[in-house]
Amino acid sequence: MIQAHNLSYQYASGGARALDALSLRVPQGSLYGLLGPNGSGKTTFLSLLAGVLPCPQGRLSVDGHDLGRAPAKAQAVSALVPQDLAFYPRLSVQENVDFFAGVMGYAGADARGRVDEALRLAALGHLRGQRAERCSGGLKRRLNIAIGLLNRPRLLLLDEPTVGIDPQSRRFILQSVQEIHAAGTTVVYTSHYMEEVQALCDTIGILDRGRLLAQGALKELLKAPRGGRKPKDLEGLFLELTHRALRD
Amino acid sequence: MGPLIHLVRKELLLLRRDWHALLLLFLMPTVFILIMSLALRGLFASHGRVVITYALLDQDRSPASQLLAGHLAGQAEFQRIDLAGDEARLQAAVRADQAQFLVRIPAGFGAALLRPQPQAVELSGAPSVEPTLLKLFDASLREAAARVYLKASLGSLARSMGDPSAADALDLDAVNALVASRSLYMGEQRLPSSVQQNVPAWLIFAMFFIAIPLSNTWVQERSHGTYARMLSLGVPRWKLLLGKLLPYLGVNLAQAACMLAVGVYLVPRLGGDALDLGDAPAALALMVLAVSFAAVSWGLLIANVVRTSEQATIFTGVGNLLLGLLGGVMVPLFVMPGWLQAIGRLTPVAWGLEGFLDVFLRRGGLAQVAPRAALLLAFGVAALGLAHSFFKRRSRG
Repeated sequence: MIQAHNLSYQYASGGARALDALSLRVPQGSLYGLLGPNGSGKTTFLSLLAGVLPCPQGRLSVDGHDLGRAPAKAQAVSALVPQDLAFYPRLSVQENVDFFAGVMGYAGADARGRVDEALRLAALGHLRGQRAERCSGGLKRRLNIAIGLLNRPRLLLLDEPTVGIDPQSRRFILQSVQEIHAAGTTVVYTSHYMEEVQALCDTIGILDRGRLLAQGALKELLKAPRGGRKPKDLEGLFLELTHRALRD
Repeated sequence: MGPLIHLVRKELLLLRRDWHALLLLFLMPTVFILIMSLALRGLFASHGRVVITYALLDQDRSPASQLLAGHLAGQAEFQRIDLAGDEARLQAAVRADQAQFLVRIPAGFGAALLRPQPQAVELSGAPSVEPTLLKLFDASLREAAARVYLKASLGSLARSMGDPSAADALDLDAVNALVASRSLYMGEQRLPSSVQQNVPAWLIFAMFFIAIPLSNTWVQERSHGTYARMLSLGVPRWKLLLGKLLPYLGVNLAQAACMLAVGVYLVPRLGGDALDLGDAPAALALMVLAVSFAAVSWGLLIANVVRTSEQATIFTGVGNLLLGLLGGVMVPLFVMPGWLQAIGRLTPVAWGLEGFLDVFLRRGGLAQVAPRAALLLAFGVAALGLAHSFFKRRSRG
């Protein structure tokens, strides 16, 4: 589903490269957990995949569509759920979802069907009329995801979707992600919560300073000895690879 | 066009729910127009049909003093206020603004008129009288005194020549025909009123103030990630800019209609003059559109240059105040020093203001306002182009 080859990106504001000759492959139908400390390049990679940032160096394709040459085709099959609550607080839940469905070009019965489906999947059907600004943190996260489901994406990019919410909401979101994945959607999931990724993802990639440090199924990753010893869990592996020093 | 309709609809919905922004955009300029039009009415009236009030204390009661009083009374712009009392009481009355001037003709004025040491007529101005008005009344009084002096001198000369009636043959009023003055405002003998000046000035100020809510909502949407989300959905940047530009253009047009209605209907109900919209509606519409396009594009440019809402508020607030000051909204350009006028004439606010004054005061049509409208439209296009460029740069980090 995703092929990245020798992908580099540097922001115009300067600093080190956000991505540095990154190469990775995410197979169709996988639930891929992308881990990395702050500033490791996770969000930059998702932004490149979503076509928000251009691809100046290297090659990146989604479902066979090259993002450098045909970004619109790649965007049509994917959806980005950003880390920010990317909707309008002063609009109601229904108005927000209707608006994004309209912007995507859906109209009439098709739009209504997609809106109903997205609200049902996010369990927001009973809160259609509520202003988004009056929703709890968990509801806002679910609305953020619901908007990402409107185009029934084949590739769903979830950037830290469970930040700052209660355990119940987190549990619901993780279940929803599993259901979406079970329905055939490829999911790329970034998070700082190791236990989430450990429980959810079939493949894990660890990114730091724009480079892929490790990739594979959790069992394989834990099997391989690092520095002469085997890490006991994902967090141990993560800290082993990215080191313990503070990044911010 | 699909996404654009939804972007515009969303923006109007958000605006409808933002009472603070609506108050700022509609109530603030209405209050400014009402206050400035009514407060400056007297000042502008002094440029139009002048009414200057004065009290007269004639302590001489001679034919010469009565002649002087008669000359003052003959001026259509001067209105004598009858106040009784001695000099101290009349001075107190003038100090309390019951009349703008006190003219005291001292005892012996007529008798000493042709002597080397004449008795001077004293003029006192009320504290609220501006120096220009004092000079104007002083000049008129001197003219009246000159006529009295001339009449007395000629009478004396005629008597010494043995023909006392010769002085009567001289018609001093004939000098009135030597100078004719008129205002070019509306081709009539009157000058623009306070409302004619203040409505367009504060309307333009309000139209540029739209940059504050516009830039704030833009920065918020950017920081909330909604623009990143829409870019990921394939919505092009120019559509996002247009999706903001079009509804705010509509708000600007509504502002213009509202403020012009305030000038035409509300100001006269509160005692001011009614705004005369001129007789070139197409030229007026062109100016409203051109100012609006420039103002909204300016707001979009600032929104894409700044990083935070706080910066947006400060940049647009201070920027608009500076534009208003330099462009002639708060202080008319003609009272500024030449170098400041030259700077002021480079601002879009000045182009807009002069364009509106072309329609309202100079009875201009499309041909007259077209150059200023073209400047405003060019400014808007440049600002929009820069906004797009900054937007692109910013969304790429």
